[in-house]
Order: sequence, then structure tokens, then C-alpha cells
Amino acid sequence: MVERICVGSIAGSYGVQGEVRLKSFCAEPTAIADYDPLTNEDGTREFQITLTRPVKNGFGARIVDVKTKEDADALKGVQLFVTREQFPELPDDEFYYADLEGLTVVDTGGAVLGTVKSVQNHGAADLLEIQLPNSSETALLPFTKDAVPTVDLTAKRIVADPPVGIF
Amino acid sequence: MGRSVWKGPFVDAYVLKKAEVARESGRSDVIKIWSRRSTILPQFVGLTFGVYNGKKHVPVNVTEDMIGQKFGEYSPTRTYYGHGADKKAKRK
Repeated sequence: MVERICVGSIAGSYGVQGEVRLKSFCAEPTAIADYDPLTNEDGTREFQITLTRPVKNGFGARIVDVKTKEDADALKGVQLFVTREQFPELPDDEFYYADLEGLTVVDTGGAVLGTVKSVQNHGAADLLEIQLPNSSETALLPFTKDAVPTVDLTAKRIVADPPVGIF
Repeated sequence: MGRSVWKGPFVDAYVLKKAEVARESGRSDVIKIWSRRSTILPQFVGLTFGVYNGKKHVPVNVTEDMIGQKFGEYSPTRTYYGHGADKKAKRK
């Protein structure tokens, strides 16, 4: 199954000439135009977009085959996805949030600590939010070389050496 | 109006005490604090504080560019996930 990641959504039409209002969720908002093609959630429809102007809370954009305001209105609420393979390669020690989410976290002894629920950054450093097994509680683990010595994406596993006071 | 300079930066006394103990021990434990109002001082650089946000202690690894800010700025009290999209995490 192809892994699809949401990078934006269509918020409605913009103007009366068939442009759409586009919301970008990318780290660099204009980067959404670099992904080609964008698809809907199940991959049955492709969208080729061109950004035309920045507007409040997003961009004005043209989509190939969308010519009228009615066509643009019909796309309101559609989320735009890319496949994981469309993301550019990253240097060592940099990871996409999408790659980290869902990985199993084990300690240096091999005991399972939980799974990565989300990645957060509140201005200090990246934090892994770990869902503890058999619990609704989560723990936050700093994403540093000391606390997370190994990230094995092929085995879908993270080895953590958490400092005292995290779990 | 800003705080008068002659008073110096505000830090809760217990935070200073805990930081000093942690620095002397040389261990990298998370220092749990509840004082979101305390200013981050130069002697805190390199330490990891668990800053309470009303629910849990958010780990904050203090770096030089945080000096002068308050601890609470790095421990949000509201949950917002948003979309991961192509955002990247760097392991430092």
C-alpha cells in the first residue's frame, strides 16, 4: 500500500476565474508547488497546481482542468496528498515527522517503552511524544543523540536511552 | 513597562538550588520545575528542565539563545498537533 502524506488542502474558490484558495501544511509553505502531482486521499484524482499569489491564510492557485468558479467551489475541502517517495532525501540525523511517527521505542535493554505518537517542537528542541503501552498517558522524549542513540527506519525501531525523570 | 534593571532577572530560589545541585552532580537528569515565570540564566545552559504545563513536565534543553526568556515560553499549555506534512526533525 502506498503511504500518502497530507501536505495541503483546498479551502475554496478564489475570485471568479477558476482559481482556488490553497492551504499549505509544508515546512516551507511555497514548497507545496514543488510536489507534482498532488492527489486526493485515495489517489484517484491528480492535481497539477501553480501558485499565483499569496492570499490571507494561504495561496491563490490555478489547477489544470479547473476553469470556472463552479469547478473550484466543487473542490472545497479536498485534501492534497503526496507519496512518501516524492519527498527529497535528507542528510544524516534529519528525519521527516512522517517517518518517525509510528516507530516502536525500545530501551537499551530491548524493553518496549511505547510508540511514537507525534513529533513536537515548542521552540527548544524536537520532542518525541511517546504513547505508553496499555495506557492513555504519553511521555515526551528529547530527540537528541544522547536520548535517542539509534533510529532504525528499516526495522521501524528507535533505541532510547531516556534521562531519569522522563518515564 | 519592563522590569527595573536594578532588580536583576527574576528566578524562583528553588530553581537556582535545583540547577546548582544538578550541575555539581554532573548527571543529565531532567530537573522538574513548576516555575514557568523564572528567567533562564546563563548558568542553566546545558541542563534539561522539565517545565510543568499544567499536565506534564515538558523537557526543555537549555541553549545559549534562550537566555533571558522565561521557562514557560517553551512549555505550551495548549495541545496543537497540526499536520506533519514534510516537516523535519533534526537530532542534535
